[in-house]
Amino acid sequence: MRRVVDIGRRIELVPMDPHFNDISIGLYRQNTNHGHNTPVFLVHTYSRISGAAERIEAVVEAMQVLGGLLKNGDGLLHFPCTSLHEAACRRVFLEACKLAPDTPAEPRPLNILDKKSKLTITVDSTGEGIYRVTAEGEGRGPARRISAIAGGLAKLGEMETVETDNRDTVAFACGASHDALVGLLLTRAPNVRIVLREEEMGAGRGVLSAPSQQT
Amino acid sequence: MPNAMTSRERVLAALRNEPTDRTPVCNPTSVATVELMDLVDAPFPQANREPELMARLAATGYTELGFDSIMPVFTIIQESSALGCKIQWEQKDNWPTVKMREPIWEDVNDIVIPNDFLTHPDTQCVLEAIKILKREYGDEVAIIGKTMGPWSLGYHCFGVEPFLLLSLDDPGKTKLALDRMKEATVQFGVAQIEAGADALTLPDHATGDLVSGEYYERYLRDLHIEFVDRIPIPLILHICGRTVDRMEYIAQTGMAAFHYDSKNEPKESMDIVKKRIALVGNINNPETLFSKEPEDVKTEVVKNLDAGVPLIGPECAIPLQTTIENLQAIPEAVQGWHSEKMRTD
Repeated sequence: MRRVVDIGRRIELVPMDPHFNDISIGLYRQNTNHGHNTPVFLVHTYSRISGAAERIEAVVEAMQVLGGLLKNGDGLLHFPCTSLHEAACRRVFLEACKLAPDTPAEPRPLNILDKKSKLTITVDSTGEGIYRVTAEGEGRGPARRISAIAGGLAKLGEMETVETDNRDTVAFACGASHDALVGLLLTRAPNVRIVLREEEMGAGRGVLSAPSQQT
Repeated sequence: MPNAMTSRERVLAALRNEPTDRTPVCNPTSVATVELMDLVDAPFPQANREPELMARLAATGYTELGFDSIMPVFTIIQESSALGCKIQWEQKDNWPTVKMREPIWEDVNDIVIPNDFLTHPDTQCVLEAIKILKREYGDEVAIIGKTMGPWSLGYHCFGVEPFLLLSLDDPGKTKLALDRMKEATVQFGVAQIEAGADALTLPDHATGDLVSGEYYERYLRDLHIEFVDRIPIPLILHICGRTVDRMEYIAQTGMAAFHYDSKNEPKESMDIVKKRIALVGNINNPETLFSKEPEDVKTEVVKNLDAGVPLIGPECAIPLQTTIENLQAIPEAVQGWHSEKMRTD
């Protein structure tokens, strides 16, 4: 009898969890939340070794804290706005899996020190899902860094770019605020190219090439 | 749709070019994924080195994915390890590879098949895994083994560049090298038959990117004809890449099937081979199975079925992070296509 059941479409995978016996952990998208046609997310492992279920629960809890996701009665996650925000959820999942079990998840602040420019970058919510990036300090090229980081947020969170002179404003299409999520994305937004390149390389692992292509 | 044949009967009939109740879903190469490894607690690299784990992981292709075959030889390096090559075994999420920058042979006179070739742990693991699978699933599902052809062994044991240069500089020595290495192919193939394999995949990586059709005809066609004579079981030749320029020669070998790449169109390929050799494969790995949706997988399956391809499966060993739902889409699409055909006929 099959042990694999339909649990939705897998949208992200950590093939080897460094914090628990190298198990794989997947993030699955389902399209129905308690009879409503709103998307929900399932964190799942096929591993049945002792402690795997607890590890999954820890990831789910971390995603709630780091990304502001809510858990329904079935243990499935969704954003309060009920929108999909799939790319953002994938990012939350990956960050939650990186968190060591003995490190409590804490919401990320809406400001960071940008190592590249030495500027303090702050993201302010101006309501209706709109966020504005500002910079403080004596660092280099504030205007360029602001627009780059706003672009990073837009890319990682599938946010829309709001037309402004400084290219400093992005918005969620759902019109809702997601402060925890933005705080999380802000930690990666300054290096978005590196983040995406690393992900691409990670996804390429496990693709068998012909002997003539190997070294 | 009622099944009148077992999975085993279906695959073997298709390999004999006989009628089937429906098109078999067959994987001449690995369908292992990291999630399936977790499901049965049989991760790489152990599942490439311990027969119980190898068998357990391979069986999921049948029990979980619904394929009509089980193929336990996930890697392409088992015999190269037994020949003495150094192996990078990697971790759960990656394939083991031969360290080809440290070749074990430089000259044709270096070629020696060790006395312990078939008792080496990495060949023995395959033989034991096949025995386990034959015992547990042998009546219902086709057990497919794998024995690497001499061209692939040449890459592993001499290194890709030295072997290709040898083939350019000294065709006589190249043929002699292939002739000596072929004994490893035959020995391992026959041992897998004795262990219980129903058919064997024979990868011989004269791939479209590096080797021409003329090269295939010159160096490999006659050797492959010889394998058909000496390995008395349906053989499935596997060559990656665009290979339409050598399919005519491949069709002349007497092999049961050719495991072909998505770089070849199903219809053009069927037009070349006609019914002299079955085709299997073609479902694209790196793009479709790995990163697209089940609907995209089904579209490729239907394209093969519409072209009359007699066995359906992925084009090569699937990426280890492939989703289970994409793999399950292959047998689902086959069932759906046949149901629709019955309805409209």
